[in-house]
Amino acid sequence: CDIRETSARDSWGIFAFLCAALWNLPAIPALNSTDEVGAGQSIQKTYDLTRYLEHQLRTLAGTYLNYLGPPFNEPDFNPPRMTRAEMVPSATVDFELWRSLNDNARLAANYRAYTHLLCYLRSMDGQVAKAELRKNLGHFCTSLQGLVVSIASVMSSLGYPLPSPLGSANPTWAQGPGSTSPHNDFLKKMDDFWLLKELQTWLWRSAKDFNRLKKKVPPAALMLRLEMRGF
Amino acid sequence: MWDNPSLRCLLAIAFLHLLSLIYSQETGFPEEPGNLKCITHDLNRMICSWDATSSANLGLTYKICYTNSEPFSPVCTETEGKRADLPVAMGSTNIQITTLNASGTPLATETFVLPEENVSLIPFTPQILNLSADFSTYTLYLKWNDSGSVFQHELDASWQIQILYKETMETVTLINYESKLTGKDSILFWNWTSDIPLECTSYYVKIRCYINELYFTGRKEWSEWSPVRTVPEKDTKPNSAMVFPQDKVVLVGSNVTFCCLYNEGKSVKFMNYGSESYPLLRLSKWSSAIKVQNVNASIPSGTNILCSLVPDDLEGTVLFVGYAPDTPQNLNCETRTFITITCSWNPGRPTALYTKRQTKYILFERISREKVTCKVDELNEKHHCDFPVHANQKIYNFTLGASNPLGQAESSLLIDVNQRVHLETPDKFTVSTNSSTNAHLSWYIPGNFIKIRLLCQIEISNSNSEQQLNVSMAGAENSNYRARVDALHPYGTYTFRVRCSASEYFWRWSKWSEGKKLTTLEAPPARGPDIWRQRSPVGETLTVFWKPLLLSEANGIILSHEVSCYLRERMLKAYEVPVPLNSTEIKLGGNDCLISVTAKNRAGSSPPSRITSVDLPSDNVKTELAIATGNGIYISWHSDPNVTCGYTLKWCISSGSEPCSVDWEMFPSNAIDAVIKSALFQPGVRYNFSLYGCKHNGYQLLQNITGYMKELPPKVAPNFTVEETSSDSILVKWEDIPVEDCQGFLKGYILYFAKGEKGSSKTSFMEEGSPELTVKNITDLTKKSLRILDLQGKTSYRLDLRAYTVGGIGPSKDLYVVTKENSVGLIIAILIPVAVAVVLGVMTSILCYQKREWIKETFYPDIPNPENSKALQFQKNICEGNTALKTLEMNPCTPNSVEVVETRSTVLKIEDTEIISPVADSELPEDGSDPGTGSHVVVSYCPPIIEEEISSPPIDEPVGSSQVIYIDIQSMYQPQVNPEEEPEINFVTTAGYKPQMQLPINNTMKMESHAPTEEDLDKTAGYRPQANTNVWKLDSPDSPVSIQSNNENRSFGSPCSINSRQFLIPPKDYEDSPTPNNTGWSFTHFFQNKPND
Repeated sequence: CDIRETSARDSWGIFAFLCAALWNLPAIPALNSTDEVGAGQSIQKTYDLTRYLEHQLRTLAGTYLNYLGPPFNEPDFNPPRMTRAEMVPSATVDFELWRSLNDNARLAANYRAYTHLLCYLRSMDGQVAKAELRKNLGHFCTSLQGLVVSIASVMSSLGYPLPSPLGSANPTWAQGPGSTSPHNDFLKKMDDFWLLKELQTWLWRSAKDFNRLKKKVPPAALMLRLEMRGF
Repeated sequence: MWDNPSLRCLLAIAFLHLLSLIYSQETGFPEEPGNLKCITHDLNRMICSWDATSSANLGLTYKICYTNSEPFSPVCTETEGKRADLPVAMGSTNIQITTLNASGTPLATETFVLPEENVSLIPFTPQILNLSADFSTYTLYLKWNDSGSVFQHELDASWQIQILYKETMETVTLINYESKLTGKDSILFWNWTSDIPLECTSYYVKIRCYINELYFTGRKEWSEWSPVRTVPEKDTKPNSAMVFPQDKVVLVGSNVTFCCLYNEGKSVKFMNYGSESYPLLRLSKWSSAIKVQNVNASIPSGTNILCSLVPDDLEGTVLFVGYAPDTPQNLNCETRTFITITCSWNPGRPTALYTKRQTKYILFERISREKVTCKVDELNEKHHCDFPVHANQKIYNFTLGASNPLGQAESSLLIDVNQRVHLETPDKFTVSTNSSTNAHLSWYIPGNFIKIRLLCQIEISNSNSEQQLNVSMAGAENSNYRARVDALHPYGTYTFRVRCSASEYFWRWSKWSEGKKLTTLEAPPARGPDIWRQRSPVGETLTVFWKPLLLSEANGIILSHEVSCYLRERMLKAYEVPVPLNSTEIKLGGNDCLISVTAKNRAGSSPPSRITSVDLPSDNVKTELAIATGNGIYISWHSDPNVTCGYTLKWCISSGSEPCSVDWEMFPSNAIDAVIKSALFQPGVRYNFSLYGCKHNGYQLLQNITGYMKELPPKVAPNFTVEETSSDSILVKWEDIPVEDCQGFLKGYILYFAKGEKGSSKTSFMEEGSPELTVKNITDLTKKSLRILDLQGKTSYRLDLRAYTVGGIGPSKDLYVVTKENSVGLIIAILIPVAVAVVLGVMTSILCYQKREWIKETFYPDIPNPENSKALQFQKNICEGNTALKTLEMNPCTPNSVEVVETRSTVLKIEDTEIISPVADSELPEDGSDPGTGSHVVVSYCPPIIEEEISSPPIDEPVGSSQVIYIDIQSMYQPQVNPEEEPEINFVTTAGYKPQMQLPINNTMKMESHAPTEEDLDKTAGYRPQANTNVWKLDSPDSPVSIQSNNENRSFGSPCSINSRQFLIPPKDYEDSPTPNNTGWSFTHFFQNKPND
């Protein structure tokens, strides 16, 4: 229950932060939605950040899974996904379905997923017994927070509205960690395991998404267009 | 008499016995009751039952009359059943049971005597009031009523509790429980802890009772088992798979059982504890377990227990294994600010438990009964906790409690807060000065110390000293503290730092504050410089020298020196000499004056140093030698009573080409010796000192002294020559060694001499250790020559002269001298043999003259016949029969025939063969004679002729005389042939031997490369019979193609050819292989074969 409150508070904090960021967006030339060069750069930066996070996660996951102990740190450990409680948003959306989504929907899904994963990651932070690992987690959280803001800026620069705050109609995971019945430690470990796995998948997918988006909005062409307009 | 109960009893028994005898005659009635049994539940009433044949005649009733042994009239009741409720009586009871029919007519009567021994005590079946389970602790709680009110008095009761589990109701345990019945109903409690989680399977409990009444003599039996009570089940059809126990914390070394509950239709694939798999124990069809013994401390996130199910499912739990908290060690409480008391401790052994299971510490103070929960930083090994200081409390009695899920521990400490003051590090430390000897210090200490005094320690250090100063001061609240330090040295650079503690009860020093550097202000130099003066030889000018002041005396930076000249308190001249000059020249102009020198820095001038310019005349100044001490020079002098104001010893050290720098040292008037030391002194260098005496009217030169700091051996050898030599003496002369090369005071020379040729030995005499070595030590330094006597004539001598000082012997210089011949001896040596020869000749002549007749007869007879001359008579037979001694005649050569006998096993031995075939060696006889086989070879040869022919070889035509005839040479060994060249082999076989000149030559390039070598051989070789030089020239275009591809093989089979002698020897591999496949001796083949050779 406490966790839920914390996460709710966190969500509001993030939301407030995002609002503030958005308020200031027009002032920042790179994020100016009217300037499509800004969008291109913004996508590129988001893509770079995604790749960086992928790299960072690889190190973090290794350390964290070792912390969880066997069997979580065994390379062939592949547990069936628990159906009882979806604590972590699953990235295993059907490929075709994902393809059929438009940029806006895909970005919104990314945004929602990272917002939630971040929230869960923060709750995980407090339960870790190793200070060093806590520090690494904190560092990763900060980076992930940056990614959420980046996605928001990409969306706004492309003129898409930010997804609405998560309602009760959303799946279980949308209600944040701790929303279901009290977990035992093993299930918590399992959730942590899935969180890392999902983060990996989402980051991989995001990298692909942003790469595609980057090609769709080539900065060079935009520059040209801009120059034409200038003339 | 009837009062006696035992007598009455006996009578009653006798009476009953009589009765039974009477009734026994009536046996045989079917309604007769029998087999009476009585049990009691409460020792008050008993239930008796009996057997009676029930006939078709229903409506039978029984009349029971019973009498106790007491003299009471019998009590009768009627019952329809075959049981009756009777009171329990002491002793025995007489029971008469009469069977009545419906109309009340007795059908049969039976009387029983029931002793107490025949009554059974069986307590009521106990009832379990409640059975509950605590799953977290695996404990069952049982509650039941002991029904103590049934009995009127206290009794011992035993209970048996049986615990069963699994569906098969296997007994886990059977426990005995003792209690006392108090005559009232009480509720009894009992609990039991399982070693398997209760969730894993169903548990069943039942209970029974046994009353141990000592005064009851009848049978005592266990009650019936109570109905089974079941622990609320968890293992029957769980909703989802689960592993138990969940998130449990246990001590290291415990044995833990884990069970996995799963849905019907699934089964357990494996169960792992950590990464290890354990054998499964089946508990029920929905539950399996593993048992892990002696568990180790878990990893920080807990050990995972995994239950893998078929089909694909996974469940798990986490076990935390650790230790109970250790007793907090080294608990120490002290205050830094008088606002809080900080207690710190060492947690001791790690518990291996983290986050919410980690050890929690609570600091409890008994006097104020206040409690503080301590926040623990896991990163910091030393834990600490703050407790507020109370205004009116001095003594604090702390108890630090440590607890975690596995246990607790505590430590206590009683302190007086005033005696445990450990101040914070002094902060905002500043140092300032406004004088040359004082410094003002100021620092800040946080905290309220109004009630105590502080003791602060100030450390003052400079480059060569360190001192500490203690200052006591009144405490204040969050205040700055000040101190003043005196007696500092002017222009001294000091580093200050400060630390403080409580003054009255010292506990600990605070940490040192940061160090602050300070340089005090300058002050005038403390004294005037050491001065000396030196008059120029003419006396017109005077050079004044002074030594720079030490840093401690300068009190600042010396900027200049002021030199002034006073004549009767009147200043004649004054010179300002800037630093770094340390001397100046004053023109005296014929007047003597009093020289005054002061040193000046920014703060002022030093007191003046004075010296007079007057030099008193001195006569007969001696030069004496000083003694080297190794690190200084020892100088002594005679005390002069006229010297009133001390002695001055002056010297000058020159370095290189620069003018020497004057140095001096002053001694009091009573001094008579001194050891002069200076860093500038070098060993082996001569220094000259002048000793001046200070008299009331001036300075007088008393003595000159020369000395070394350390004497060394002379650097060079003395230069010496041989002045003259005779047949038995040598005169040696030498020169002095220059003073700078002596490196010490010369003590003498050593002359070594011994026989020796120049160049024979370069080593010195000393190393040689020659037995004839003579040493002469010349200690008289005025002597410059030496005559060496008693030498042998015409002999080479080696001379070696060295100089020596106290420091050792210098290097040597060699000279070789040959003494002159002794002429008289020579003359005698010639004359004596001549005289002897003459005398001998004369004597022989005389003798011959006297014996001339005999001589003539013997040597010169009248007829000279050599045959008769004995002296010339030689042995005759030497020449007889030996025609070889006659003069040899040169006849034309007739070729000799050598018959070569054909043989398969023999190889022809050729005398000039260098390489001898091992086969030939072993099989041929030494003399080369026919070994007896049928075949042989005839060789025709003529070495001398060949010699001639080589000198003029025929050019075109073969020489007919040099023929070698081979008979079946092929039989010795097969030629080496390539298979494709088979026809040529046949040709060879049929052709037999052909002289080389007839052999066709293949003109290959290879042969060309060999040609020069062979030409050389032509010139040098003595034997060349078969060679046709044209044939050897290989590039004749019309030469037929060689029968063998390799030209070297053309000479195969030619035993006489010098150039081809090797071909006579069959290579080993040819012998080994019966069908050789290579005919040639190519180079490659050669190299290949080489190892075989």
